[in-house]
Amino acid sequence: MTGVELHHGAATDVGVVREVNEDAYLAEPPVFVVADGMGGHDRGDVASKIVVEEFARLADQGYDPRRGPDVIATTLRTCQARIGEYDAQQRARGDRDFQAGTTAVVALLIEQNGEPKWLLANVGDSRIYRFNHGQLEQVSVDHSVVQELVEAGMITEQEVASHPERHIITRALGGRGAVEADYYVLPLSAAERLILCSDGVSGMIDDAMIGWIMGETDDPRDAADKVVAAAVEAGGRDNATAVVVDVVGLAEDTPYDSERQRMSLEEKLGALP
Amino acid sequence: MNNGIIGTWSYRAGDWYAVFGANTTLLLPASERERVATLWALVDSGADFTQVLDALLASGLSTLQGFVLVGADVGPTRILLRGDGVRASLTTNDETFELEGAGTTTWVERTVDDVTTLVVTVGDPVEAPDFAIDGGLVRVSRIDLPPTGQQIIDVEAETVLPAGLVVEPAPVVEPEAVFDAEPVVGTEPAVDTEPDIAAEPEPEPAADEPSPIMAEDMEEEATEPPAQPPDYLQPWPEPSDLPPPPPYPPATEAETDPSTEPIPMPPAPPTFGDIPPPPPPQPGPWGDGGFDEPAPSMPPPPPPPPPDAGDSDHDGLTQAGVNTDEFAREQPGIPGQPMAPSVTRPVAKLIISNGETIDVDRVVLIGRAPEARRFTSTEQPTLITVPSPMHEISSTHVEVRPGSGADHGSAVVTDMGSTNGTVLVQPGLPPEELKPGIAVQLIPGAIINLGDGLTIQVARP
Repeated sequence: MTGVELHHGAATDVGVVREVNEDAYLAEPPVFVVADGMGGHDRGDVASKIVVEEFARLADQGYDPRRGPDVIATTLRTCQARIGEYDAQQRARGDRDFQAGTTAVVALLIEQNGEPKWLLANVGDSRIYRFNHGQLEQVSVDHSVVQELVEAGMITEQEVASHPERHIITRALGGRGAVEADYYVLPLSAAERLILCSDGVSGMIDDAMIGWIMGETDDPRDAADKVVAAAVEAGGRDNATAVVVDVVGLAEDTPYDSERQRMSLEEKLGALP
Repeated sequence: MNNGIIGTWSYRAGDWYAVFGANTTLLLPASERERVATLWALVDSGADFTQVLDALLASGLSTLQGFVLVGADVGPTRILLRGDGVRASLTTNDETFELEGAGTTTWVERTVDDVTTLVVTVGDPVEAPDFAIDGGLVRVSRIDLPPTGQQIIDVEAETVLPAGLVVEPAPVVEPEAVFDAEPVVGTEPAVDTEPDIAAEPEPEPAADEPSPIMAEDMEEEATEPPAQPPDYLQPWPEPSDLPPPPPYPPATEAETDPSTEPIPMPPAPPTFGDIPPPPPPQPGPWGDGGFDEPAPSMPPPPPPPPPDAGDSDHDGLTQAGVNTDEFAREQPGIPGQPMAPSVTRPVAKLIISNGETIDVDRVVLIGRAPEARRFTSTEQPTLITVPSPMHEISSTHVEVRPGSGADHGSAVVTDMGSTNGTVLVQPGLPPEELKPGIAVQLIPGAIINLGDGLTIQVARP
C-alpha cells in the first residue's frame, strides 16, 4: 500500500436536540469508520465506541490487505461479541432487556492483484458516498425499512424523507446472531473523495447539498466540518458525524467514459428514469 | 401491549402460511404464495392492522379463498376470518368466543377486550408438536397465543423457512393504495454561502426524531406470563418510540406526525453573484440508477435461508428481523437476470489476451477499472483490470459468471452497459454484438472482444 497518500478530515456534533453524542468515528489511515450508536438509555455510545476501538486495532497493528473482506468481517464479529458481553453485563446488573446497538460504515485500503483499492462495508443506515468529477454518488445501500420499500417499488425516493419508519434499520451490530455487512470494492480512481457519515448528516441535508459542499471545499478537514455544520444548522435533530477522505496524487481518469457508460446502460435497457 | 397478548405464539405445522409480525399475524392458504411473499415484508416490519388489511385486499377479495388476520397492537384484539375450515377461539376471563370463517361473503370480524387465549385452526385438526415462534414465516395448521404449554420446542433454526418454503416475491401489488404518492420534498437545498439557520423552521422535540432505532423498549411481560419458555423466546419489542404509522388510507401528511411533513425550505435568493447553483440532483445511489437494480418485473429468485439463521433470533433488536432484506437482496449482477450465484466450482476458464487466466467460479468483472457492488464477505467477485490505452474499454465492461437455471454448468457473459460495446464470437456462429444487461451463454472456444485489441478466450475449466 505504498504510494497511496490519503488526506482526511473528520467532524462530529451532538446536534441541537440530543444530550449525548452516540456517534463515533475513526480516521487513522488506512482505516476509516463512522458508527452511529442507537438507543439513548441503552447507551449506544458504548456500542459505537467498541466499533471504533476494534477498527483502531487494525490501524495500529496492521492487517493483510489482500484479505480485506475477511479482515472486516472478523473485526465486525469481534465488535458483535464485545457488544454482546456489554449487554450481558448490564443485564446481570438487573437491566433485563438491555440491548446496545450501532451501525457501522468502514472504508479500508486493500490490495487486489497488487493494486490498491477501496474496500467499503456498511451495516445499517450510515452511509458512504463518493465524490468524483464534481458528482456525488451514494455507494452504500442503507439497511433500512424505507430502502427496502423503495427497492420493492412500494415508495419512491421522494417519499423516504417523510416516511414514518425512516429511522428503522434492518441490520445493526448488537443483539444476538451474526451480522453480515455489504461490501463494495472501488478502484482508487473511482473515488477521489469518500464521505462516511451518520444519518444525522444524510437525514438532515440532502445529497445535492452534500455534493455542493464537497464541490466547493478542497480541504477534506474543511469539508467534514462544513457538512456537519450544515446538518446541525438544518435542524441538528440527531448526532451528526462525517469523515472525508481524499486520495491524493491520482492520475486523472476521464469522467466521460463512466458517465457515458452509466447513461448508456439505462438508455439501452430502456428501464427506469 | 397493554393487554399483554402479543408475544410468543406457538404453531403446529401444516399447509397454510403464517406470518408473525410485531403488530399483526396473518394466515393465508397454501395457494397464496405470492400474496404471502408480498405481505411478509409489511407484516414483519411491524405494520399495523389496517395497513396489512389494505395490502391484503389490494388485489381483490374474490380471489382470496381464505385468510386470518389478527391484530393486537393497541387495545383489544381484532381478528378477521374467512374461508372453509377456518376457526378461531378467543377466551377472556369470563367468556369464550367461537368464530368460523366458512360461508361468509366477506369475512367474520370480532373485536374482543382482554383476551387471555387465542387459538386459530385452519383445515383439519392435526396431532403434531407445537413449536414456539415470536416472528417469522412458517407453515401452520394451528396457532396458539399464548403458546400451548405442551412440547414447546426450540426451533429457532426452523422459524425462518421450514418445510422448504420457497418465497417468490410477487410484483408488488398496487402500491398506490397503500402509500399515497407525495410531492417531492425540498430537493433544492438552500444554498447560502452563509447558511441562514434562523430561517429554518421547526425545531423539533427529540421524540420526533428517534435515532435509528431498534426498539429501545422491550415489552413488559404479560402480568400472568404463561409458562414462559427460556429466554430465547423474547417478547416482541414494543415500538413505542417510533412515530405511529399514519392511517392508511387515505394518508395525508396533515394527519401524520408533524415531523413527517416536508420541511419547506426557505427560498434561497442569490445573495452573491458568484454562488454556484446547486448541482442537479445526482443520479441516486447505485441501487436506483438502473444499473444494478432488478427490473421491477423480475422476481428475485428465492434466496437460500442464511446459514446463520440458527443463531439469530427475533429478540427485538432489529425491527425487521433476520430475513427482511432477503426480498430486496441484490447480488452483483444484471437487472433482469437471476441473481448471481455465490462461489461455485469453476465452470469455465478465461484466457485474456494479455496472458492472464481466470477461473469462472464466481462473478468475474472485467474492465479498465472495475467496481464490485454490494457483495457479502464470502462471495467477493473477482475484479480483473485490463489495459486500455485507447480508452475503448469501459471501467466495468463485462461480467462473466457461472450461469443459473438453463445456463447451469456453463458461464454466461453480460455487457455491463459499456460505452463501446462487446462483440462475442462463438464457434460456428457469426459475430454477435452483446446487448447490455442481457446474459449470453458461453461455449468453450468463444472469443469475447472488448475493443482496444483486448480479447478473452473461453476455455473449459
